[in-house]
Amino acid sequence: MRILILGLDGAGKTTILYKLQVGEVVTTIPTIGFNVEQVTYKNLKFQVWDLGGQTSIRPYWRCYYGNTDAIIYVVDSADRDRIGISKDELVHMLREEELANAILVVLANKQDMAGCLTVAEVHQALGLDALRDRTFQIFKTSAVRGEGLDQAMDWLSNALQARK
Amino acid sequence: MYTLLHGFYKYLVQKDEYCVLILGLDNAGKTTYLEATKTKFTKKYKAMNPNRITTTVGLNIGKIDVDGVRLNFWDLGGQQELQSLWDKYYAECHAVIYIVDSSDRDRISESKETFDRMIASEHLSGVPLLVLANKQDIPDCMGVHTVKPIFNQNAHLIGARDIMLMAISALNGDGVDEGIRWLVDCIKRNSVDRPPRNHDDNL
Repeated sequence: MRILILGLDGAGKTTILYKLQVGEVVTTIPTIGFNVEQVTYKNLKFQVWDLGGQTSIRPYWRCYYGNTDAIIYVVDSADRDRIGISKDELVHMLREEELANAILVVLANKQDMAGCLTVAEVHQALGLDALRDRTFQIFKTSAVRGEGLDQAMDWLSNALQARK
Repeated sequence: MYTLLHGFYKYLVQKDEYCVLILGLDNAGKTTYLEATKTKFTKKYKAMNPNRITTTVGLNIGKIDVDGVRLNFWDLGGQQELQSLWDKYYAECHAVIYIVDSSDRDRISESKETFDRMIASEHLSGVPLLVLANKQDIPDCMGVHTVKPIFNQNAHLIGARDIMLMAISALNGDGVDEGIRWLVDCIKRNSVDRPPRNHDDNL
């Protein structure tokens, strides 16, 4: 199954990818282009694409949309200034025909930071209440502490299996 | 000519679509109920393992075709901080299914207060309500005769809309069928006030 990890730069996408793959927190640099890894979670094999999130390279996300089963959208919950931009990118992305059937998982990441947004706040800030025809779920995560990722992957693998 | 024929064809095969909200406190069994409903009304549907259903923070959707109409379900998270998001869906829904955990005596009054807050919304006026006393598979849970009087108070909030309380078990599917069929009848009756969502679509 094919999964895309998307989100603004600095949200923690690459950290999440490698936390899922090798179970460790690796030191990352801003991704220019993409990282792709095979991740096995509870007997399910996923091909996970982590695409660079900087403004100049976001237009290329759409080149990867075909045949995508799920999107993991990562938000830096401590970055209140850019949550609006994150919302715009998400709304824009979800309009794409090729992603009409993709399941959405939102990771409210960096929950270890003081003063970060709660899940309900992330829900509202991303305008998710406008979604009517897509299953989605938000998880609180802290990629550096490894918190919340298991629950998210559990839910995702469950949802993907039920949809088959 | 093509447009005309195409439109006529669509007119013949297109089902009226209605939206149904599934609400209730967290852990009432909303997502399990949605899965049970999909299983009942969808041939060959492979349901999620109920043991692996987790707390919803977001939205689960479902579609079923029953008695000539299509129902779209929206199953929302029930945790307190998420209840503030419910009203975003009120104006667009055609019915509400409110799930109660009949085995949780400690939270029944909380569930009732949440129900009252919900039905007080003007955006839900006239919308049929199906209240389900869930988890009847648990021994010693409250039956209809206990739950009904609790939810029947505040008749002034309920007003003239259709309301029904039924006992079900989402886990083993008991009562799921009857509830949906009752609701579909009400939704059809109420379609003058709340027309189907695809009604004004261009054919």
